[in-house]
Amino acid sequence: MNWIVDGLDRDQLLDRLPAISGPFRELYQSVYRLPQVAPETLELCRLRLAQLHRSDADFALQEVPVSAEQRAQLQDWPRATVFTDEQRACLEFTEVHAMDCSAITDAQADAVKAHIGEDGLVALLQALGVFDGLIRLGLLWQAAPAGVHQHAS
Amino acid sequence: MPVSARVQPPAGNSGNVIRDSALGIVPGTLEPYLALNAAVWDAGPLPAAEVELARLRNARHTGCVMCQAVRYDVAISDGLTEEKVQMIRAQEPDAELSPRERLLVAFVDQYNLDPAGLGSDLRSALLEQFTEAELLHLSLLVAWFNGSSRCAVALGGMPEAMPRMEISIPR
Repeated sequence: MNWIVDGLDRDQLLDRLPAISGPFRELYQSVYRLPQVAPETLELCRLRLAQLHRSDADFALQEVPVSAEQRAQLQDWPRATVFTDEQRACLEFTEVHAMDCSAITDAQADAVKAHIGEDGLVALLQALGVFDGLIRLGLLWQAAPAGVHQHAS
Repeated sequence: MPVSARVQPPAGNSGNVIRDSALGIVPGTLEPYLALNAAVWDAGPLPAAEVELARLRNARHTGCVMCQAVRYDVAISDGLTEEKVQMIRAQEPDAELSPRERLLVAFVDQYNLDPAGLGSDLRSALLEQFTEAELLHLSLLVAWFNGSSRCAVALGGMPEAMPRMEISIPR
């Protein structure tokens, strides 16, 4: 349970400062509407971040539907066959971005650009920023997102 | 070793550092991005000098040369000194920082290094020094600056060093 305002989930905590959480949510939601990156690809990247942060609550959350197979095999995506080349390039980029953004190689950035272009790379980076931010806030506040839908993993 | 820029910024010069950066090639996020950046500075209870201290401490973690070189004029006007900035940039918080400033540093460090590992001592100290609204503001601004700073680093094109630059909030 969160330690800032007893009894509130992450979304309710965000609601307590709408002047800033409102624009944060708008940016968060806007990335799923971008034409540069498929929302399913972004959702896989968000879910992978949740796994890397060991946030079960964020992994259980569904922003965009992805197949049960992809969810189940996400942790082992390099060996799985259910991901497209575009998704694989974005997942590899996501993993390095999560660990050390300065360690991203030109080859990893080029692989993303080969599928979704330069504007797609920028869109992906903006999405990763807000995804990572919200996951970290949930962990730091010890507050789970509201309305989590559980999935078999 | 500096990484070459991985994305070309848009043509033209609007005078707005965000619109003129690589972020300008994704119009679908540009306005929300600018709105959030402005809200972090304008719409929360923390004074600009504290926002800037948290931003600069975060930039130390991400290694963003540009973020570390920039000083926002609103923070300078709010009384932020370069001496205080240097204290914040040290690995260990300077003993001359106020208890509140030391907690700002500790919060940013926790966010970056181990967000799931917040201990009860730090939690209690934060609740004693900051109001609920201040804690939420601090949380959101660190999340925001961390994401944008990581984005800047990952886009490449960052020099090894930059001189100190005073800028206004891009709107």
